[in-house]
Amino acid sequence: MKFQGPLLGGLLFAAFCASSGPAAAQSAAQSEATLEKSPENWPTYSGDHSSKRHSPLNQINTANVKHLQAKWVYNVYNQRDMQATPIVQDGVMYISAFNRLDALDARTGALIWQYQRQPVSTGAQRGTTVWDNKVFVITGDKHLVALDARSGAILWDVATHDGMQITGGAPLVVNGKLIVSGNRGAPGGFAQGYDATTGKYLWTWSALPSKTDPEYKTWGTAEPDGAPMWLSGSYDRELNLVYYGTGQPNPQWNGTERDGDNLWSNSVVALDADTGKLKWHFQFTPHDEHDWDSVQQSVLVDAPWKGRPRKLMLWANRNGFYYILDRTNGEFLQATKFVSEVNWLTKMDDKGRPTHNPAAAPTTLGTLVCPSTAGATNWPSPSYDPDLKTFFLVVQEGCSNNFRDGKTGGGYVENPEHPWQLYTRALDAFTGEKKWDYKQTTSIRYGPGLLSTSGGLVFSGEKLGQLSALNAKTGQPLWNFFTGGVISSGPMSYAIDGVQYIAMLSGANVFAFALPDDDPAVAAASKRANGGGK
Amino acid sequence: MKPRNLFIGVIAAATATALLIGLAAQAQAPRAQVASMANAPSTKNPYTGKPEAVEEGRTIYNATCLTCHGVNGSNGEFAPGLAVAGRFYSNRSDVQIFNVIKNGVAGTAMPPHASRLSDDQIWKITAYIYGLRGTAIDASTPGDVANGEQIFFGKGQCSTCHMANGKGAILGPDLTSVANRMRTTAIVASLTTDTSRVLPPGGYQSYQLTPLDSWPSVTVVTVDGSTVKGLVRNEDSYSMQIIGFDQKLHLLKRAQIKSAVYDKKRRMPSDYDKRLSKTEFDDLLAYVTRLGKPNAAPLQVGGRGGEE
Repeated sequence: MKFQGPLLGGLLFAAFCASSGPAAAQSAAQSEATLEKSPENWPTYSGDHSSKRHSPLNQINTANVKHLQAKWVYNVYNQRDMQATPIVQDGVMYISAFNRLDALDARTGALIWQYQRQPVSTGAQRGTTVWDNKVFVITGDKHLVALDARSGAILWDVATHDGMQITGGAPLVVNGKLIVSGNRGAPGGFAQGYDATTGKYLWTWSALPSKTDPEYKTWGTAEPDGAPMWLSGSYDRELNLVYYGTGQPNPQWNGTERDGDNLWSNSVVALDADTGKLKWHFQFTPHDEHDWDSVQQSVLVDAPWKGRPRKLMLWANRNGFYYILDRTNGEFLQATKFVSEVNWLTKMDDKGRPTHNPAAAPTTLGTLVCPSTAGATNWPSPSYDPDLKTFFLVVQEGCSNNFRDGKTGGGYVENPEHPWQLYTRALDAFTGEKKWDYKQTTSIRYGPGLLSTSGGLVFSGEKLGQLSALNAKTGQPLWNFFTGGVISSGPMSYAIDGVQYIAMLSGANVFAFALPDDDPAVAAASKRANGGGK
Repeated sequence: MKPRNLFIGVIAAATATALLIGLAAQAQAPRAQVASMANAPSTKNPYTGKPEAVEEGRTIYNATCLTCHGVNGSNGEFAPGLAVAGRFYSNRSDVQIFNVIKNGVAGTAMPPHASRLSDDQIWKITAYIYGLRGTAIDASTPGDVANGEQIFFGKGQCSTCHMANGKGAILGPDLTSVANRMRTTAIVASLTTDTSRVLPPGGYQSYQLTPLDSWPSVTVVTVDGSTVKGLVRNEDSYSMQIIGFDQKLHLLKRAQIKSAVYDKKRRMPSDYDKRLSKTEFDDLLAYVTRLGKPNAAPLQVGGRGGEE
């Protein structure tokens, strides 16, 4: 669909919301809900499994966003600096933490039910997912819990297989499987699959090779270590593949003993959702000595590439390159720099394989490395607007001085001559060319994630509490709201009874924004929802 | 001596003892510690939360203590009840309870039992008393648990409203971990009287937002003429959140509501001691007082759990 402006969009909006009522249909088994099909819900971390984070809702748009106002605030007692993305299904919002889930009336913020498992945890957890009337909790004592999404009743509570601690990445449900991930401590990252209906364990995939795998030889004389997996992935239903990013090899700053590529660190991996078997991988930074986790979001887009339609994956990596891959087989198609300074490689071949610049390896006295170890971008989510064919992301310009101390020690500091600065940046999704920048004046690493909408807007938080709505075509700020708390997560959008909301966590508070009740679009929608105007 | 006077005596004695220990501790701290250790073979009860031992403790208590202290923690004829709601107990820890039983309380009618009971037996009584003061899981009641489960899902019709371990309906509170949240006495009260309040999942903390704990039954007519019947989970002056008898959530703004009529009588029956036989009631209670995790961490606020 081409962007047609608010008028036609408003009609589209009215068409979808006419069928919803005060008692919205409770979710049946959702086969593959997408934001295109049901924009009123946001049932999973990135909105849907393509991870575009682009809401087709357009009631709030460039013309009226200046009137956007806070509708309610909910305090998630005892939490702090929350990193979850709110989840909404059928008018209920689910806010998760380790050992904790609050179900709210998404129109008013009123608490419907609450699940708390002891002890209280304030560890960073990035959200939950709702599927088939179930919502899932990751616990601090190595359990997974499924709750009835309507009542909070405990449906199943299972110990994780092999006693693995699941980390803060939001769980996914794909093809009836609950997919979770974590860092094993030693040796490293893993993903697991469970039956989402019963909690039965199905499979584990380890991000580190065992001695019998050929990839074991990519670790020199070292024992494989690292590749933590702590962010939610994406999913292609036709291919039945889940896509996850893996973290850095250890020790981070010294690769002398782990001579080789250190598979499957710093890669995107495609796993069969039913078996956990690795279908393909693409390694962004082989033999990494800069702590560049590839723990970013894979954005799945179907679009023509050089004249033929392809299943693409868009990935802005911590190492400073914006990659386009074919997600059926991991084939490298293109990489472009999205930050101004990149010095860690001397060249990249036509398969996307870099040659490291030896002058950028960490040393005892410190080496200038661009981008910095904090990353040209990090885990905060990008978004993709299919109408504008634009990729929005959070960028950190600048460089670091990277140090090595003995076999395992090291670290990094900001280089004063190449200071760090965060931006919300728009790229042409297919050429990687920069379209505009919005300077995040009050952001420090790593900045919050993004949301784009068919209202022609990009919602962009700043770490120190400012939330802005930017014009998606120009980056010009059109509205802002100071939340008074640190923002570490990304905004999302949902709708109830024809009213569009924007919601986000800041500190331990959930904020929900909408247009005023007397806005013409809202008033008309409310009239319909209350039985008038039929 | 009347129980009331006895109780004051216990407090006075305990206060005096505490003062004396305090003074002694100031003067000769190490020796005082040794002296108290000598009375306590262990600082932790080996039987806490072990159902068979708690049951043995109940039997020994009923044979030895019940005449004065009363049944199931309620007030006795000659001595205070040991698990009365709202009462402050100066002897609370395992070791304190153990010491009171073993050594008695000087200046009161509470005699020492060192010559009559073994340390092992005293620890079992201690586990029983501790359980009476804890939630139901700490002292699950005796009975045929399997038969109780059948009654829960059958004759008792509990599962037509409640869920336990993922089975049943979503109308009333989930009972999967009810024995971790409620005392046995409170569970009995909710089955037999219509005045008991229901604790929300996660415990009772007034300084944080919680849903309504009364689960009132309501019939709502909306302005467009439809009717919603169910239990109110939350409400304020502007909205209501109802879990319907149709097993769906109904989220309503007051502007959508024409009338909301609350049923005066609560939906939960309060005559389970009559509609079930004594044995059936005991079996149901045995099942319900085991719904939860033994030795689960007590409710707490603060701290830091799992994280990466």
